Amino acid sequence: MAQHAAETDDELLMRLRSGDEEAFVALYRRRQGAIYRFAMHMSGSPAAAEDVTQDVFLVLMREECGYDPERGTLSGYLFGIARKLVLRGLERGRSDVALEPDNDESLPPELAVEDDPLVDLTRREGIEALRRAVQALPRRYREVVVLCDLEELDYADAALALGCPIGTVRSRLHRARALLLEKLSQERRPRPGMGALKPLRCVI
Amino acid sequence: MNCQELWTAMTDKADAECARHLEECPACAARMERQRLLIASLRTVAAEWRSMEAPARVEAALVAAYRAQGGVRAPARRQWWLPVLSWAAAAAAMFALGVFLVRDRQPRAESAPAHRTAPAGLEWASLDWSAGADAHGDATGYDNDFIPLPNAQRVGPDEEVNLVRVEVPPSALLALGFVERADRAGPVQADVMLGSDGLARAVRFVDE
Ligand SMILES: [Zn+2]
Repeated sequence: MAQHAAETDDELLMRLRSGDEEAFVALYRRRQGAIYRFAMHMSGSPAAAEDVTQDVFLVLMREECGYDPERGTLSGYLFGIARKLVLRGLERGRSDVALEPDNDESLPPELAVEDDPLVDLTRREGIEALRRAVQALPRRYREVVVLCDLEELDYADAALALGCPIGTVRSRLHRARALLLEKLSQERRPRPGMGALKPLRCVI
Repeated sequence: MNCQELWTAMTDKADAECARHLEECPACAARMERQRLLIASLRTVAAEWRSMEAPARVEAALVAAYRAQGGVRAPARRQWWLPVLSWAAAAAAMFALGVFLVRDRQPRAESAPAHRTAPAGLEWASLDWSAGADAHGDATGYDNDFIPLPNAQRVGPDEEVNLVRVEVPPSALLALGFVERADRAGPVQADVMLGSDGLARAVRFVDE
């Protein structure tokens, strides 16, 4: 498969459309891991992640799969399909992870964390705490962190995957990181008195 | 630039004005430093997760599907003759035993042709996709796993159908002519596809 390394996703896609199985396998191997991890993060279920990964590439096999290179990269498109499949599964009660209401009103106000030393992120337990914090994020914030910070999609691809404007990706990512910092800060001080959490002046 | 403007701008890129604000505002500078640390740590988490991949069987199933798409479709796995007259009664009995009901616009666009194990394939079987036609449905308009009922209408292209997940006890299986199934211990799960008129169109057994 080494000869495929230099080919773009779109080139591989064109070849797989003309029946080139090697191109299909090369594209699958290039993209499956990220799709699987994304589905895993979002569903919390290896079985669901496996199904989503399979279904994403089944969609891709179809001539009329809806991918439009003008609108974004294949990667962004694949994440978008994966996300739809995950959400559909969640709606049907497939996963252990419940759907959150799709609005911001339910969120607690952003709290000050600057006076609280973070969990030491350079240490093993700090990374573990961060992993837990990501998993505990509300779904709409978790998905943007997984896409932008873990899978390193650019904002345009993330916007395509999430079906929202780039500005929304930015603001959600910003909010998601703030929530992570807050959770990590709480982790360090398991039962903070509310007095220790004062409103942050710099809050957007 | 004030604090709010800084953070609005910083979600995009850092520029000279942002840098000046950060020099002047210790609160924002500290917050920025924590963000940097957070992002770096997220990269560490990502690196650890990078080895997580879909099991090899997914690739095998997809390659099989890819080949099937390009060539002749494999025959349906279940080819038993089904007693025509008993289907209406069978569907009614299955419906009465229904465990749950899912609505579905496009029952054709669903589980992979490669066989899946339960429970992973179960609820996902009713997924539909926004992008139209079917990757692997055959000319009958049904997924390979669905056995069309001999005396039933075909499902129309835009017809809304319901899938009913039911549990069929061995005695009912025997009555329906599924001797092979009835030999197994315990009830068997099946999906019954009901057309928009509520009549059963096809059935699919869900393997354990
Ligand atoms: Zn400031």
